[in-house]
Amino acid sequence: MNIIVAGAGEVGVHLAKMLSREKHNIVVVDQKEDVLENLNSNYDLMTVLGSPTSLSALKDAGCNASTDLFIAITPEESRNLTACILAAKLGVKKTVARVENPEYLHPEQKAFFEQLGIDSLICPEILAAKEIADSLVRPWVRQWYEFNNGTLILIGVKVRAGANIIGKELMNLFTHDESCRIAAIKRGKDTIIPGGRDIIQTDDMVYFITTREHVDTVRKMADKPHTEVHKVMIMGGSRIAMLTAERIAEQFDVKILEVNKERSEKVKERLGSKAMVILGDGRDIDLLHDEGIEQVEAYIALTGNSETNILSCLAAKRFQVQRTVAEVENNDYIPLAEGLDIGIVINKKLIAAGHIYQMMLDADVSNMKCLTFADAEVAEFVVKEGAKITKSKVMDLRLPENIGIGGLTRDDKGIIVYGNTQILPGDRVVLFCPSTYLRKVEKFFK
Amino acid sequence: MPKSLFNIRIILRFLGHLLILEAMLMLICGGIDFLFKDHTQLVFLQAAGLTFCAGLFLALNGMHAKRDIGKHESFVIVTLVWVLFSLFGALPFYLSGHFNSFTDAFFESMSGFSTTGSSVLVDVEILSKGILFWRSLIQWLGGMGIILLSLAIMPMLKIGNYQLLTAEVPGPVYDKIHPRVTVAARRLWFLYSGLTILLVVLLRLGGMSLFDSICHSLTTMATGGFSTKNASIAHWDSAYIEGVTVLFMFLAGTSFVLLYRVFSGKFYKIKQNEEFKAYFYIVLVSGLVLSTALFFFADLSPVKALRTGFFQVVSIITTTGFTTADFSVWVPGIRFLLIVTMFFGAMSGSTSGNIKIGRIVLYTKISYNELKRDVHPNAVLPVFFNGRAMPATLIYGLFGFLFFYILLMILSVGIFFAMGLNMEDSLGVFLTSFGNIGPGLGNHFSNFFDLPGIAKWYSGFLMLVGRLEIYTVFLLFSRTFWRN
Repeated sequence: MNIIVAGAGEVGVHLAKMLSREKHNIVVVDQKEDVLENLNSNYDLMTVLGSPTSLSALKDAGCNASTDLFIAITPEESRNLTACILAAKLGVKKTVARVENPEYLHPEQKAFFEQLGIDSLICPEILAAKEIADSLVRPWVRQWYEFNNGTLILIGVKVRAGANIIGKELMNLFTHDESCRIAAIKRGKDTIIPGGRDIIQTDDMVYFITTREHVDTVRKMADKPHTEVHKVMIMGGSRIAMLTAERIAEQFDVKILEVNKERSEKVKERLGSKAMVILGDGRDIDLLHDEGIEQVEAYIALTGNSETNILSCLAAKRFQVQRTVAEVENNDYIPLAEGLDIGIVINKKLIAAGHIYQMMLDADVSNMKCLTFADAEVAEFVVKEGAKITKSKVMDLRLPENIGIGGLTRDDKGIIVYGNTQILPGDRVVLFCPSTYLRKVEKFFK
Repeated sequence: MPKSLFNIRIILRFLGHLLILEAMLMLICGGIDFLFKDHTQLVFLQAAGLTFCAGLFLALNGMHAKRDIGKHESFVIVTLVWVLFSLFGALPFYLSGHFNSFTDAFFESMSGFSTTGSSVLVDVEILSKGILFWRSLIQWLGGMGIILLSLAIMPMLKIGNYQLLTAEVPGPVYDKIHPRVTVAARRLWFLYSGLTILLVVLLRLGGMSLFDSICHSLTTMATGGFSTKNASIAHWDSAYIEGVTVLFMFLAGTSFVLLYRVFSGKFYKIKQNEEFKAYFYIVLVSGLVLSTALFFFADLSPVKALRTGFFQVVSIITTTGFTTADFSVWVPGIRFLLIVTMFFGAMSGSTSGNIKIGRIVLYTKISYNELKRDVHPNAVLPVFFNGRAMPATLIYGLFGFLFFYILLMILSVGIFFAMGLNMEDSLGVFLTSFGNIGPGLGNHFSNFFDLPGIAKWYSGFLMLVGRLEIYTVFLLFSRTFWRN
């Protein structure tokens, strides 16, 4: 695919790097010479120096009918919209703009923006708020991916000491059960695609693949209590905080701590009765105590300071808060925060880039898509007529080691794949393998 | 195992695969010998066998390598590829028995890959067809670059790496023609091959035999300069052949990125390109000056003077090194004119060697700016090149290059002098080796067979340093490179 990324801010750069690793032709347009220079010499992509709203720069970047996707992702909303309109008029097939104003995202406006030539809009803050809200519904889930239009779901769970599945060989765990299976295990820095003899250890991150109706089976297997969140405490009155509060106010009891007086008043003005706003520092233990941190099931730190967010989540964990969420905008801190056992780490850039990436995968008509997670690939294949993989049952196929077929979708129904499953042409198969194996796997589907 | 600074396996894998490729190319030359029923078929079979085994050994050691190539690996790979290719490329020469020693064979091979075109052979016409073709083929490979070739045709390496490319492609800045390095490499090689084939047809029409026209096309497009005849292009004494050769040497001295843009319909790019304009005018003016001088001081007819003048100027500026006249017999004043042209080189991103017009233009502009700055100390004076202000880091890099060049020149002239060459020869050998030109000056105008053995190795080293433009090779000798 030919893709133009307008804007080499943090999201743009992250996205361009991610896409250039796949077989896409990426052109990045921006005015920051030093950033472009760095991208140009270290990644397999092309850069064009110039404003994303300049016609000559857009033409230089190859804005014409041969470009499949134009992504405007500068920090300024109005520039993104202008750039997308220009690009669309120059003939680009699809355009995506990053915006801030939530009213643009209303479904009613979709036709209006399409008329202008803007096919999709994304707002990182709203995506972040959505991710936080979703995580509160199932506090035991660490990661949640959906495949094949939600017919198959990948759930990442951290397994604690004492859970039932620890210490048993996987082949004994899933004897008569066809509702889920373990697709991958992340242990420290390693990602394991497990076979029947592998054993789960304490503190492993286990990835289950399942269908929507069996999500609760996964929870039981991982030995996670079924706790419902009632009370939520948010630290910091940022835009994400307000958007999150608006989204979850109906289900949960929300308290927001904000240290700045003016800001706190603004937050209260906007949210009204949806949330209680407290003026004070979220790092103040006495204040937390007074505001009932012991009764809170979820603590969300969303200040502009990543260090503060991480530290206050650690403090909240000492009060036995079940679910902690920290916004970490500094990419270097993300593995650190995960190591400190903070439940969910929110990073606007990664969320926005991931969302666009997912959008592209969904739009891709080729028979293979893949998603890199940890050090492994999750690939989605459409099985062709006469492919090697349809010749016999999965257990007799002699697939290379390290490759795990997770599940497949047949007639819009998710099916978990076992040794005696027969794969048929037209199935959409989701499988896991180490990054370098993808080419070997491809052969089985052609 | 201690944690290594390098991903050694990937280096081995890369080198191994490339050597296997070289072995296959040797077999082609063996095939040509077979066709012409020449006597060196076995030589190529032996050389290919040895090269293949070495390649296989390296490739097997590099199995399951991690696919990340960083800056360090890139520089090591590029330099080693060129050294190994020249070493193994010397095998057919050595085994053929036409060369007195391995030193001679290596000199010829390095002179080939670096597209220098200096030779230690007194008589090339007694060589077998296979060996002649091998000489031409290695120049052709070296012209566009071995790494660029590997990126274009060896997807099994699956490494589209910009670092590797910039370490090999000549010139201070590399302009991308496509977002993916592999696709860009493929297009450049396609263009290069296309022009070569066109030249074969044109030379054939001029009455050259098919074999000679193929060999000359390969070495002309590479700006290499090996010929299949002792008298080089003068052998045919044809205005048509000289004209076609001049045109294609000029094209080969043009940036291939620019050529690609022009061939894909963007003619305006030529007008915007300062380096091309400078290249064009330098060739034109030097050609006219030399022709006039030849007319007045060498007693040539006006037509003959123009023919010889332009041919020699284009041949030397593009660092090809074909000759149509013996300039060692010209008066010193004219020889001096040729020395001047030996400092230029053609455009960045072409197959030519030497300093390159791009750098010369930038040096001139920067230095002129400094004059202005003396008068207007507070003036804002960015250096514009092709309509864009050049960043300071690029300018530092340029002056680093200049310093190394001068240092290398002084050292090399000293070294050659100490080995018993006279002053003019010492300078000539340095200029022609570093600039990948071919013919030297004075006694070593066309032949290097009587150069002392150690001087041949050193000259080979200069060719490599010149082809990879100093930094890539010099880095390997620096302490910062080997420290973590």
